[in-house]
Amino acid sequence: MNIWRAVKKNAFLVLVAAAYIAVFIVRPGMGSASVKDSVYYLKEMIMIMPVIFVLTALLDTWVPKEKIMKYLGREAKAKGIVLSLVLGSISAGPIYAAFPLCVMLHKKGVPVRNLMIILSAWAVIKVPMLLNEMKFLGLQFMAVRWVLTVISILVFSWIAAKIIKDSDLPRHEDQNGLTVNQSACIGCALCEKNYPALFAMRHNKAFVKTVDMPVEKGRLIQTMDECPVQAIAYAAAPSDTRHAG
Amino acid sequence: MDILTLFMWLGTAAFLIFSFVRDRHRTKRALKMAFGMGKGMLSSILSIIFLIGLVLSILPPEDIAAFISGQPLFLSTVVSAAFGTITLIPAFIAFPLVGILLGSGVGIVSAVAFLTTLTMVGVVTFPLERREFGTKFAMLRNGLSFLFAIIIALIMGVIL
Repeated sequence: MNIWRAVKKNAFLVLVAAAYIAVFIVRPGMGSASVKDSVYYLKEMIMIMPVIFVLTALLDTWVPKEKIMKYLGREAKAKGIVLSLVLGSISAGPIYAAFPLCVMLHKKGVPVRNLMIILSAWAVIKVPMLLNEMKFLGLQFMAVRWVLTVISILVFSWIAAKIIKDSDLPRHEDQNGLTVNQSACIGCALCEKNYPALFAMRHNKAFVKTVDMPVEKGRLIQTMDECPVQAIAYAAAPSDTRHAG
Repeated sequence: MDILTLFMWLGTAAFLIFSFVRDRHRTKRALKMAFGMGKGMLSSILSIIFLIGLVLSILPPEDIAAFISGQPLFLSTVVSAAFGTITLIPAFIAFPLVGILLGSGVGIVSAVAFLTTLTMVGVVTFPLERREFGTKFAMLRNGLSFLFAIIIALIMGVIL
C-alpha cells in the first residue's frame, strides 16, 4: 500500500494528529493535558472493545439469522422493541462500542428502528449510568429523565424508520453464508485475483458474487487466508458440511 | 471496571470456551473475524479518543459551566445542548458537573439538555457512525436526538 492510500484511508486520524501538532507548537501545556485526558478514554476503549469484537464475531458465527429475526426482526414487533431497549440498557462501554454489534445485527436482518433503539439506549440509559445519575441528582430526577428519554427514543426511532430504508444502510455483502466485511475491506482486490468466480470489486470494495455453482473450499480458504485484513468470513466452516445460508 | 463490563468479559469467555469445544475451526474463523473488525475500526477509534482529549482541554467543561450560568435561559439551553454534542464525557464526571450546574443556579432545562446530548449525540463519533450505517442514518439519529434532548429538557423544566 502506498503512502497516499494510507493517508486517505486514515484521513480522520491524520487530521487529529495535525491538530495535536498545531496545539503542541502553540500551547505545549494544553497539548500534554489533552494527551493526559485521552489516556482515560484509551483505557476505557481497551477495557471494552476486544470483548465487543469477540462477542460480535461469536454471535455472528453461532446465532442463526432466523433466531435473531425472531427476537429482534420486523415480525417481533413490540417484543423486538422492548428487547432492543433492554439490550442497549444492559450494555457497557461508549456508544461506538455498539457499532460493530449493530452492524452484525443489521446483517442478520434487524430493521432500522430496532438498531436505532439499541444505539440510543446504549448511549443514554445504560443501567450503570442511571445509578450514577441517581447518586448525584436524585431518584426523582433520574426517573423522570429516564421515562422521557425512553418515550423520545421510541418516537424518534419510529420517525427515523419511516424515512430510512434498509437499503440506505451500507450493505455488508452476504451470499451463501459468505461475507465481506465492507468496513474492514481495504480494496486490495486480492480476493478478486485469487477467486474471480466468487469475488468482484465495486466502489473499491470487494463483494460476493451470486453463484449457483458449488464453492471450491480449498480455494476459498486460501483466498480468505490471503486477505490482508481477514475481511472475508464464512458462516459455515469449510470443514462443515451443513449449509448456513 | 464496572460490573456490566465484567459480566461481558466473563460471558464472552464462557461463550468462547463453549465455541471452541463445539467447533475449533469455526472458533478460529470467528476470532479472525473479530481481529479483522478491530483492525478495521482501530484508526477511527483512536481518532475519536484523541479528539475528545483535545476538545476537553480546549473547552474545559468547568469553563462551559461558568459561561452557561451567566446566560438567559434560551441561550444557555442551546449552548449547553451544543456543547454536549461535541464531546463525550464519562458519567462519573458528567453527573457531578450537572449537579454543580444545578447548584450554581443554572436552570434545570439547560442542565438536562447538556446531559442528554452529551451521551446521545456525538460529533466526534459521527464519521465512524456514518461509515458503518450510512449518512442518512447517522444524520437522522444525531439530529433527532438533539431535537428530543431539548424537548426532554423543556418538559423536565415544567415538571420539576
